[in-house]
Amino acid sequence: MSETVQSPIDSTHRSGQRPMIALEGVSKTYPKQSKPAVAELNLQVPEGAIVTLIGPSGCGKTTILKMMNRLIEPTTGRILLAGEDVTDVNGDQLRRRIGYVIQQVGLFPHLTIGDNIAVVPKMLGWDKRRVASRVDELLHLVGMEPDDFRDRYPRQLSGGQQQRVGVARGLAADPPVMLMDEPFGAIDPITRERLQDEFLEVQRQVAKTICFVTHDLSEAVKLGDRIAVFAARGRLAQYDTPSEVLAHPADDFVTEFVGSGAAVRRLSLLEISLLELEEIVISGAGAAGKDHPVLSVNGAGHPSAWQHLPGSEQLPPLVTVPLSGTVYDAVDVMLDGRAPVVVVVDDDGQPRGALHWEALVAGLHTKGQPR
Amino acid sequence: MTAAAPTRAPGWIRRNRDLVATPVIVVVGLAGVLVYTATRQLDSVEQRALDPSYLWPRFLEQIWLTVASTVVVIVLALPLGIALSRPAAARIRTGTLAFGGFMQALPPYGVIILLAFLLGFGTTTAIIALVLASFLPVLTNTVVGLRQVDPALIEAARGMGMSGRQTLLKVEIPLAVPVMVAGIRVALVLNVGTATLATFIGAGGLGEPISSMLYLGRAQAVFATSAIVAALALIIDWLGGVAERLVSGRVG
Repeated sequence: MSETVQSPIDSTHRSGQRPMIALEGVSKTYPKQSKPAVAELNLQVPEGAIVTLIGPSGCGKTTILKMMNRLIEPTTGRILLAGEDVTDVNGDQLRRRIGYVIQQVGLFPHLTIGDNIAVVPKMLGWDKRRVASRVDELLHLVGMEPDDFRDRYPRQLSGGQQQRVGVARGLAADPPVMLMDEPFGAIDPITRERLQDEFLEVQRQVAKTICFVTHDLSEAVKLGDRIAVFAARGRLAQYDTPSEVLAHPADDFVTEFVGSGAAVRRLSLLEISLLELEEIVISGAGAAGKDHPVLSVNGAGHPSAWQHLPGSEQLPPLVTVPLSGTVYDAVDVMLDGRAPVVVVVDDDGQPRGALHWEALVAGLHTKGQPR
Repeated sequence: MTAAAPTRAPGWIRRNRDLVATPVIVVVGLAGVLVYTATRQLDSVEQRALDPSYLWPRFLEQIWLTVASTVVVIVLALPLGIALSRPAAARIRTGTLAFGGFMQALPPYGVIILLAFLLGFGTTTAIIALVLASFLPVLTNTVVGLRQVDPALIEAARGMGMSGRQTLLKVEIPLAVPVMVAGIRVALVLNVGTATLATFIGAGGLGEPISSMLYLGRAQAVFATSAIVAALALIIDWLGGVAERLVSGRVG
């Protein structure tokens, strides 16, 4: 079992070693409450990583996020931003250096889209031309045509468009750190998925350090380089890569929180390109042994039908999955096509190997070298 | 998803067509009353009361009483309302607004006479009485207008690094202005009506010809001057409405 896939995605491949945000022994006790909302929290967010903060409601995850930019002042402890102790600096000045995006978006209805994005750059004293070009650049980045949207008002935009502008506004002054409080929480599931994909695409370009509060485990798994699972009173129950959290919950609380769907969720983290696939033989290419599956191809080299499958009398329908997909996609097409085996094809439609249902159940094997 | 209207002016006119009604009614109505009055046989007392050389200064006094008292109300009630809307003032907010309601409930006629005995007769006392009578709508609307600003907008503003003062000036007040203007409009209309009582403490205004002609039993002159006061009130209310429309146009 030593080769069984646990963590196919190197969690640090997008992030450096230096913690961009560090909370050291941070506690928060609200006035007139005897017990702290967050107690003695230590958390380090590596530079360039997306860390998703997740936990049941009331676990203090939003309080923790708001202590990072001191919208909520910690009772004790230290907050470090890129190594600098910012626990006692001017809060307003600090927040201008940190992007902030909230669920309700909070676009100012009396300002145009362009003016909304320009708020922080203007406060920082940028000259007009720099602000204008930054606004256009950001609208492009979030996939909105500046000439169409710059002069509109927020109420003229759909919820998804508003949240794109919200993200653009958070990025306006090019802060190294972004704090996001359930930014996609109030958006319909289809739009949310698209926004998540766009968000990951934007992050590939801007490589910010991001703390992202969510209550949706799928979202936490999809977006996070790391997941911080919080229990009541801001206790950090587990802080690890998504696949590690799903495969090895640190304690009973995490096990229960991650729930019974963990094994299925993990599938969406396994990229097919990292797997050791079963070899297949193209029919007519000779050496048609009995121990490899045989596939017939059409003129373009695309798979057309099974010729032979070792150990099965009836040949299943042919289903394919792209090499760039995840095991989740492979399982999806197998269930959909009622086929116990799927052909993995590359970008050109050429067969690259097969993936068996039994192999999934038995445990998957990665190649020696990821990518 | 409403695209910005490509033809702006026609849409603007269409949306605001209802604003034409009041001036038309006022002009037609007032012209009708004046034409009717001109066709009547007026005795010398009535002629003197309706003579422009007498009526015009009274008209200006009426406007002065209205505008001066409203300006004083704005200067006092807006800052107080802003202060009361701050979270730190939560404890005294309800009490202060209740006291304002009490002041509002006092009949202006009584207040104006009582104040004259306390502070002496004259325009200043009349303005103070008008301020007391119209203070509450401006105060309440300022507090309500600021309190109804979406807390998410305030959180977004603070989260982006605006100070409390910047949030107030750049987010909260601009969004509360339509409600605040509505309060000022109410104050103006209250004041232009109540200012006719100023004559009882010697502060002039259009109440003077009305009460004297009433005393002398000259119904025709009372009718004409009352029509002028009504027209003035309608026009001031209309101007307030236009101002409200202008400031709320952008805030959605």
